Amino acid sequence: MAIIGSVLPVNVQSLRPPLDLAPSREMIAPKGPAIPAPSGGQFGEIFEKMVSGVEQSQARAGEVTRSVLLGDNPNLHQSVIAMQEASLSFSLMVEVRNKVVEGYQELMRMPV
Amino acid sequence: MELLTGIAATGGALNSQRTRLDIIAQNIANARTTRGPDGGPYQRRIVSFESELLRSTDSANGAKSPGLATVRVSGVTTDPTPGQRVNDPGHPDADAQGMVTLPNVNLAFEMVDLITASRAYEANLNVAKNSRQMALKTLEIGK
Amino acid sequence: MIAPVANSLNYQLASKLLDASVMRHEAIATNIANAETPGFRRIDVASDFNRALRSQFTGGRPPSPSDVAAINPHLAVDANVRTVRPDGNSVEIETELMAMSRNRVDHEFLTEIVSRHIKQLKMAISGRVT
Repeated sequence: MAIIGSVLPVNVQSLRPPLDLAPSREMIAPKGPAIPAPSGGQFGEIFEKMVSGVEQSQARAGEVTRSVLLGDNPNLHQSVIAMQEASLSFSLMVEVRNKVVEGYQELMRMPV
Repeated sequence: MELLTGIAATGGALNSQRTRLDIIAQNIANARTTRGPDGGPYQRRIVSFESELLRSTDSANGAKSPGLATVRVSGVTTDPTPGQRVNDPGHPDADAQGMVTLPNVNLAFEMVDLITASRAYEANLNVAKNSRQMALKTLEIGK
Repeated sequence: MIAPVANSLNYQLASKLLDASVMRHEAIATNIANAETPGFRRIDVASDFNRALRSQFTGGRPPSPSDVAAINPHLAVDANVRTVRPDGNSVEIETELMAMSRNRVDHEFLTEIVSRHIKQLKMAISGRVT
């Protein structure tokens, strides 16, 4: 029954997966944006800047609100607006963090 | 905390106008009082106002600016103008010539004063209402 | 990345005008309170505040939001009064009441601009419409 084994003249070698089974960084994301790594990298810097921006706007809102509470500043609207701006910045940071974590989790779920 | 803008000024004005209305009511009530505690006819009282600085609004670089001021009653004085003298010998307070000195209260003046004071009072109430509505609107920013 | 939240030019403009509107309400409250005080002259937001804001826009290009943020309103005695009564008082209650009514509408309009800007950013960030 030699027919069965020899019908398709396919080069079987090309079908075998490469022996190096550990996926390399270039295979997953060839030349794309750097994946967030504990050491920082580009995205880490962006995120740090965002956090300090949020801190600043929270500090400013705190200052204005305190001066209104103590009676030094009669402009209630400045306190309300500063608090809303600080809350917006904070929400933005939280959403970015959520999306990053989601993306990372999806990445980890990818079968290799 | 000064959450309502201008409320301190308005409060002072409401107090002052109330005092003024009280004095006007007193004047009108005594328009025919020919014998007061001092023995003479009632003399009309006059309320005088003065402004009182609440908060200076000079800017940080020293530029002068008129501050925000409220008003307060600086004093209640007696109008010394002698009242009208009428001839009424039968009146218990008639003097030796049969003349009675009436209080120097002119009802027409007092009524005009009363209306002015009421209008001022209502205008200040209007300001207070607006302050409150503006503050409530401000609190809803972003909601 | 956080600064652009507050960087829209109209938002800064509305914010400044809101400061001026609140200050004007205080001035009107002071005027009405002192409508009978001898010697009192009415006060208002200084007119050079509006002029300074306008002049920012008459140049070739629009100003940056921080230019607008640097201009602040301040109070001044109103020199253009129609009448000064014999006791030195220049306040007319009707004028003040009308000015207060107009200022009230300005305040609501400016509050609406600021509020809308913030609400739109909230929608953009959270992805939800309400």
